[in-house]
Amino acid sequence: MKNHLSRRSVIGRLSAAVAGVLAVPVAKAAKAVTQKVLVTTDAPKDYDPIKHKWVMAIDANRCIGCGFCAEACKKENHVPEGPYFRTWVERYIITKPKPGSGAARGETLVDCPNGGITGYPEAPVPKEEIQHSFFVPKLCNLCQHSPCVQVCPVGATFDAPDGAVLIDPKYCIGCGFCIQACPYGCRFLSPVTKTAEKCTLCYHRITRGLKPACVEVCPTQARIFGDLTNAKPEDPILQFYQNNLVTALKPHLGTEPRLFYAGIDKEVR
Amino acid sequence: MTNDMINIVVEVMPHFEGYVYPNEATQQPLWGVLIVLYPYITGLVAWAFIMASLVRVFNVKALEPVYRLSLLTAFAFLLCAPLPLLFHLGHPERCFEVMMTPHLTSPMAIFGFVYAWYLMAVLLLELWFDYRRDFVTWSESTPGFKGLLYRLFTVGVTDVSAPAVQLDHKIGHILSVVGIPSAFLLHGYVGFIFGSVKANPWWGNVLMPIIFIMSAMVSGIALCVFNYMVLTWIRRKTVDMKCLDVMGMYLFYALVVDTAIEALDWIHRIYSAEEGFRVIQYMAREKLFYTLSLGQVACGTLVPLILLGLLQLARRRVPELARRRMYFVGASLILMGVLAMRWNVVIGGQLFSKSLRGVMGYKMEFAGLEGWFMGAVLLCLPFVVLTVMVKLFLAEHDQK
Amino acid sequence: MRRLFTMPPQLFRILLLAIGIVVAYSVARYFLTPPSFGEYGWYRGAALMELATRDRVYAGKRACEECHYDEYEKLGKHEHKSLACESCHGPGEAHGKDPRKDNIEKSNFAVCLRCHEANPSRPKWHKQIVIKNHYTGSKCTECHAPHSPSDVP
Repeated sequence: MKNHLSRRSVIGRLSAAVAGVLAVPVAKAAKAVTQKVLVTTDAPKDYDPIKHKWVMAIDANRCIGCGFCAEACKKENHVPEGPYFRTWVERYIITKPKPGSGAARGETLVDCPNGGITGYPEAPVPKEEIQHSFFVPKLCNLCQHSPCVQVCPVGATFDAPDGAVLIDPKYCIGCGFCIQACPYGCRFLSPVTKTAEKCTLCYHRITRGLKPACVEVCPTQARIFGDLTNAKPEDPILQFYQNNLVTALKPHLGTEPRLFYAGIDKEVR
Repeated sequence: MTNDMINIVVEVMPHFEGYVYPNEATQQPLWGVLIVLYPYITGLVAWAFIMASLVRVFNVKALEPVYRLSLLTAFAFLLCAPLPLLFHLGHPERCFEVMMTPHLTSPMAIFGFVYAWYLMAVLLLELWFDYRRDFVTWSESTPGFKGLLYRLFTVGVTDVSAPAVQLDHKIGHILSVVGIPSAFLLHGYVGFIFGSVKANPWWGNVLMPIIFIMSAMVSGIALCVFNYMVLTWIRRKTVDMKCLDVMGMYLFYALVVDTAIEALDWIHRIYSAEEGFRVIQYMAREKLFYTLSLGQVACGTLVPLILLGLLQLARRRVPELARRRMYFVGASLILMGVLAMRWNVVIGGQLFSKSLRGVMGYKMEFAGLEGWFMGAVLLCLPFVVLTVMVKLFLAEHDQK
Repeated sequence: MRRLFTMPPQLFRILLLAIGIVVAYSVARYFLTPPSFGEYGWYRGAALMELATRDRVYAGKRACEECHYDEYEKLGKHEHKSLACESCHGPGEAHGKDPRKDNIEKSNFAVCLRCHEANPSRPKWHKQIVIKNHYTGSKCTECHAPHSPSDVP
């Protein structure tokens, strides 16, 4: 009907259409500006996380409890002073059973003074009463079904494609749920950044071809590190898997840790 | 390994016995009094609302006098509920991330949506449809700022004809029905936050969400009793004894069910005695003695059970004044007992090491975000908000 | 469409309000979700590179070889060849960038003891000494050369 197509209505509809088309790039530009305020990064992209699969293993038979690893980690990653550790070394002392008790073993005594950095005091029982004693380095267990990642409400902690479990410090809201969910006690809330923190496998080193700081300074190669995607058969990590029967911590929880231990006892939690 | 759980104490660090993971050796537990308060407040909200919906959905006419008070209670407490969460975050300015990129495998991520749904779609709508007619009448008769406020709340709709009011009632009924599962969700997910943590044997079990819902039920009904009695006392009115008796009956039976399920949890733990049992037993006996054995069990459960049970059995023989006193004391004790229960769950779960070889102590500070003072303020704040609402929305003539 | 407008006014307004809230939420989500979110999974993809570009504190053994080739060679021929230079000498990145005497540790006998002090928890194959039976001085280097420990005079 001719009346409805008056000039005014045509101009009106045409301008609405133009505005609609223009709205899209305007909205995109506005989004870019808002998001730039939120987070920016100028990092170069010459490392492809899809092409690597990092993993660590611990040979507790070789650990001498020197604490170089825990100290190096604290320095390398600027971990705050105090009860905050990305990695630490525990000492286990298993005593002999009391004579005539009919038990296979005595008590198990565990300690970890200052993460093992400043050494260990004298054993609380005399040497003759010790049946076994050994050190166990602890760190992020690199779970395949990480409970910590599962419970993060915002997506600040995640399984990186190359095997590390990382935390995005610019996105973490500091709720602490991941710290509660980790069965291995490897996370903490940093009093400095007020976000969760944990072992990152020294992500800033391994992406540049270096080893994590703890692996670097370990004098006895108790910590073994490797890239499973690009490993040759003589690589220490593949040798470790080949030559050792291994255990993982708390397997009943179903977290499927990728960190394997050789040489630890049933008492280790 | 012998039965000794207590291992060596190497450094005499404050608060620790046995072995705790180095990251657990902090002065304060990660989740403190703020996280104790949040489940407490949402529990009160959920069940205060369900008390109100008993009138609409199940036609319990005796509870009519507390209908609006229950709704306002739920609303006041719900408004204050996110505050402890906000204060406890390391980065509260990033709190919007929970709504923008919610990680749906996390029970905590559900908070944004469940809270928004419950606040807007259930509680606010229910309140609005119930009050709509009054808003229109009040906006016309009240002068000044209050009148402006009422006019604002009418949202411009002034139709108060009989069919419109009937429609309001019908919608209110539907909302009450929707509100019941919503209330279960509002508090159930909080229980699931703890129940899903398999790393912690005190928290991570199947009964945890059920226990949370049941104890919330008890606390919500107790709060309605408490508020009703306090409000009538302040306004120097007489309490409707039939209403109070019905509330007391619901409270008693809810308490029985709650006690049964918590007892079941304990019996199961003691019987199956899984790996963490020894350290949990030690922790509960030594570190939680006052809050668990005295606070939650003796004062918060057994005494109210006896008081309310007596009233159920011998109601006719107990004079009215005594009955009122017993209901009030019972409700107050239950409120404290449920708060103690939240404390025992949240703090208790952090008082033993995940190595299952050590326990920690906890001395609450007075000042600071996780201190006594802040806890008391956040606990009183909903009552302050409720007072304002009662002044605005619960006119004296609404009560008998 | 006409049915919509003949809805009771209270329902209509509530419906409008609800739609408004949903639209506002969607708009907010469009603007406030960070860029690169979802690139590899439910997280900010840019976080990977941000974490990867932090500064180092330890340089790694290979970095020391550049200037200290002699010690590096000697170390590689003896029992301490499995050690990193930085195990005993501390972090070396700062020293590598600006080689001075004061930004690297020279090491002392406390470091030697850290590994070699006898401890029943240490494995039997590891060489350990009970210090008071072995030596009463303050410099292990009186008798031992750390870079070539088997050269005991």
